[in-house]
Amino acid sequence: MTEIKSGAAVATSADIRGATAMQLHDVAVSFHGRTAVRDCTFDIAKNRVTSLIGPSGSGKTTLLRALNRLHDLTPGAKVSGQILLEGTDIYRGDITVTELRTRVGMVFQRPNPFPTMSIYDNVVSGLRFNGIKKKALLDEAAETSLRAAALWDSVESRLKVAASNLSGGEQQRLCIARALAMDPEVLLMDEPTSALDPIATLRIEELMTTLKSRVTIIIVTHNMQQAARISDDCAFLLMGEDRAGELIEFDTTEKIFNNPKDSRTLDYTLGRFG
Amino acid sequence: MSDMTELDKPTEVDNELRDEIRRISQHSRARRATVSKVMIALCAVALVVTAVPLVLLILQLLEKGLPVIDKTFFTTLPSTPSLIAPNATGGVSNAIVGSIALSLYASVLAIPLGVLVGVYLAETESRLASSLRVIAQTMAGAPSILMGLFAFSFVVHDLNIGFSAIAGSFALAVLMLPVIVISTEIAVRSVPNTLREAGLALGAKSHTVSLRVVLPAAVSGIVTGAILAISRAVGETAPVLLTIAGGFTNAWKPLDPVSAMPLTIFENAKSEWPSQRAQVWGVALVLVAFIFVLSLSARMWASRKQQVRN
Repeated sequence: MTEIKSGAAVATSADIRGATAMQLHDVAVSFHGRTAVRDCTFDIAKNRVTSLIGPSGSGKTTLLRALNRLHDLTPGAKVSGQILLEGTDIYRGDITVTELRTRVGMVFQRPNPFPTMSIYDNVVSGLRFNGIKKKALLDEAAETSLRAAALWDSVESRLKVAASNLSGGEQQRLCIARALAMDPEVLLMDEPTSALDPIATLRIEELMTTLKSRVTIIIVTHNMQQAARISDDCAFLLMGEDRAGELIEFDTTEKIFNNPKDSRTLDYTLGRFG
Repeated sequence: MSDMTELDKPTEVDNELRDEIRRISQHSRARRATVSKVMIALCAVALVVTAVPLVLLILQLLEKGLPVIDKTFFTTLPSTPSLIAPNATGGVSNAIVGSIALSLYASVLAIPLGVLVGVYLAETESRLASSLRVIAQTMAGAPSILMGLFAFSFVVHDLNIGFSAIAGSFALAVLMLPVIVISTEIAVRSVPNTLREAGLALGAKSHTVSLRVVLPAAVSGIVTGAILAISRAVGETAPVLLTIAGGFTNAWKPLDPVSAMPLTIFENAKSEWPSQRAQVWGVALVLVAFIFVLSLSARMWASRKQQVRN
């Protein structure tokens, strides 16, 4: 559970994107028959950071939450098309929703550590929920993931303290550690820095850059500079005529920001609207 | 982008219109200040009117209750006054022991069940859940003598257990149940959804999230509701009237016929001996103090939990 995956296939050239972690084919999400986002077809490359950008209402978060089946809980929500994780269809294939969520972790917009649990209990909570009780295993997972989230040094001496005593930035890194403790292949991040100050934001961004050697990252962000700074690939979504979001363009971040195919992408990245 | 030119145009200010608006708003401000003062005065009067009966009640309780309370009041059993010793009322230890036993057994019966049903109502949307909710709300409004009658016919008579602590606790538990169910449902619903999502996103099953994430986060609200239910039950007379027989011993075991403070008040108030009638005020004072301590501890618990969370 705790070994760090070797950072083998980190593509450096923008043209070589290496192996694929997830594939989206014609993905659409609707609520009570109203389409919220559609026409999403692109591949998420392994050990890279993929950002989903676009103005409010373009369906970025809705699309992200389809990738770990979080819409399952919403009455009237329907996901169509195909989403593959290592070749397995996550909605119809041979994978349970709980297994999927242990392999595809998530960090939310606002830090949401469990308020009644200590720092330590928060980090190992996912393992405990999945039936792991061995203390040695939990201890090791806690240290490894807190180190990976660059939080170990500041919390080592107070692991038993309530998680709510940490600052906002530390809480968010605790949530990252909690997700990493499950050793996921993919980490979904829904505007993870929107509730944080610039310094805490910078630390999370640095963290993402170091983490991508062990986990594929998909991040929704409103912040164009952030997408440009940290992501390798970028999907640009926009709200269409009927108020449903759709994929306008997917490419390497460099192309999206410097040489996009669609003029609307250029308008957005230059700040002409949104 | 086309509206930018519109916005850039300097707006012409109509001085007459501006003066008119200022004059009217000045007048209206003065009027609203007067209305506000009158309203505050009315609220103050309402507050005093509400507080007067409560203060009088407490003063009377203290005035009449304190003189009859001494050490033997708590430690000895009641005795019957006679012409030779008209003031030999004894103590009310049987009623105090009985009331504590009754609330304890009733809590054991009602709290676990009520909490589980409350969590179920909050966490699921089904026909069964909405019917249960209607039942709980109806039960919360049912007269308490009904619970006594039900416990009498079911536990005392049908199950042939007889007048006993368990029969009284059963009646009180039925009374407490809807209060606990409703307060638990409210507490669980107020747990932010982001915590549920955090649990589910870690691959936890939904019942695991309910029991290990949501329930602990709702615990202060649940405990407050349970303590308030106990403090309501301990003062109830009707449910115990038909179920516990009111023994004159310090009985406390589930199958014993026990006594209770409200029952002692009810019985002694009808007594022909003035000394026994006077004793009623002492029992009432102890009962109120008991409920006060329970409610206060519920509040303190809730506020302490809140501080830990913030």
